[in-house]
Amino acid sequence: MISPRRLGVILAHELRLARRDPLPVMVLLVFPIITMAFLKPAFRAALDQSGYPHANGAEQVVPGQAVVEAFFVVSLTTFAFFSEFGWMTWDRLRASPATSLEIVLGKSIPRVAMVLAQFVVVFAFGALVLDLHIAGSAVALIPLVLAFSVSLVLLGVAVTAICRTVQQANAFAYVGLVLFGAIGGALVPFNVLPRWARTVAPITPTYWAMRGFRSVILGGQGLGAMAAPIAALGAMSAVFVVISLRRLRFDEAKTGWA
Amino acid sequence: MQDTYGHAQGRVAAGPGVPALMVEGLEKSYGSTVALAGVSLRVEPGTILGLLGPNGAGKTSLVSIVAGLRGADAGRVEVCGIDVLRTPQAARRLIGIAPQETGVYLSLSVRDNLRFFAGLTGLSRTQIALRIDEVADALGLTALLDRRASQLSGGERRRLHTAIALLHRPALVLLDEPTTGADVVTRAQILDLVRGLADEGSAVVYSTHYLHEIETLEADVAFIDRGRIVARGSASELVREHGASALELKFVGAVPAAARVDGSVVDGTTVRIPAPDPAAAAAQLLPALGAEARSLSSIEILRPNLESVYLSVTGRRYTTRVDA
Repeated sequence: MISPRRLGVILAHELRLARRDPLPVMVLLVFPIITMAFLKPAFRAALDQSGYPHANGAEQVVPGQAVVEAFFVVSLTTFAFFSEFGWMTWDRLRASPATSLEIVLGKSIPRVAMVLAQFVVVFAFGALVLDLHIAGSAVALIPLVLAFSVSLVLLGVAVTAICRTVQQANAFAYVGLVLFGAIGGALVPFNVLPRWARTVAPITPTYWAMRGFRSVILGGQGLGAMAAPIAALGAMSAVFVVISLRRLRFDEAKTGWA
Repeated sequence: MQDTYGHAQGRVAAGPGVPALMVEGLEKSYGSTVALAGVSLRVEPGTILGLLGPNGAGKTSLVSIVAGLRGADAGRVEVCGIDVLRTPQAARRLIGIAPQETGVYLSLSVRDNLRFFAGLTGLSRTQIALRIDEVADALGLTALLDRRASQLSGGERRRLHTAIALLHRPALVLLDEPTTGADVVTRAQILDLVRGLADEGSAVVYSTHYLHEIETLEADVAFIDRGRIVARGSASELVREHGASALELKFVGAVPAAARVDGSVVDGTTVRIPAPDPAAAAAQLLPALGAEARSLSSIEILRPNLESVYLSVTGRRYTTRVDA
């Protein structure tokens, strides 16, 4: 059972904490803008070689950098839990009338919102400054971004469930960012990846996100092309939920940053 | 008046004859380490129970299980008649806990810390504002309400930590080592507060290893040792029943034969001699030691108190560390 009022109290609290320490959110928003600006020319050449001679590079660099940098939210999600251990507030929170589900949702929903905000900012910058042209239906990207954001935050919850220390969680999130970003075709165009990478890519959420973006931005497709990516991201989210349900023990002693 | 979650505002009291806390046959082990070995106790509304014992005796395990933070291997826990182990969610609304470790959000102000936890208990905005003012006043935090928790001293943080437990006027207050690391002022404020809570009808379980605090509070006492309650009663009853005067002598090296009188207990280089009149016993013993008195390093008269109760019921001198 979820009490909307208690959930609202936790959400407001998380936003208050984020307001007191805005740097992680700023990095999430600003970093992809910086990287896009200087990577765009390189991706123009790459897209040209991939059969898109009229592309200006923004078609790859905008979604690619947004997807890669969105991975930071995995780390931010784990930190939302581990910081409670560092502050010694975890038991206090658990001893309150808030349910486990309310606590998890209260920490997850703001992180989903952060990724959504990041995509809005990055795509707005792409369209206004980098001359991003979306050939297909931009509306089709909304469910895709939502599914991708949810999958990343749930991955963060699953990582929290598996790891006992904040260092383990950070290492996991960082390796995930680089590895999934590269294999999934976010760092470089998918068709220039080696064959083995293309074979294993579908196990990554980045692959499905990038496939959806390519279909719409370069392929000119609409909502219909989103079915497979959203289904795959949904399936991954389900796996992360199962891992979290099996491994997330609220009475487990984890190490914050001590 | 009902709050958002349907329970009456103000203190939620146990019904007539229903204890604020009832624990029966509670058992808990961590691997091969037994933390609680069949603990039973009952705490009535408006009373203070001093849960005493050295570190590692099982106090924190007991408090954590009562608060619904840990499961138990066996036994029963009821708070105002509500089964904590089966319905922890319902019981949490009746409990206010200040865990052993000071836990506050350092980047938030004192007021925001209080507001968050008060909000979780279902108080309305008006009630939250009122209770924040009340608990802040009781714990000397009023002038600090808009200060960040990171800017507070250790004692001030401890007071904030304690204040959070009291916001919803819980029927059962669990304070786990509330004065550990606290300065003199904070300690006095917390002890005053505990008395006030009991006067207002809350049951307070005050876990500590500082015996003198319980003597100051004139609280009921439960001595916990190696996961068992080894003595239970009011402090004065326990002292009357189990407390005994004694003379304790410490030597540099082995205890001389002349000091090993009938009934004495030798522990390394220390000998403890039970005596109704320890001063008279000292006057008698010192001449008998003769030249061996030069190896005395200290001599102490132990009056009947909770420390001597612990000694009497466990056979060991009270220390803050758990015995091997």
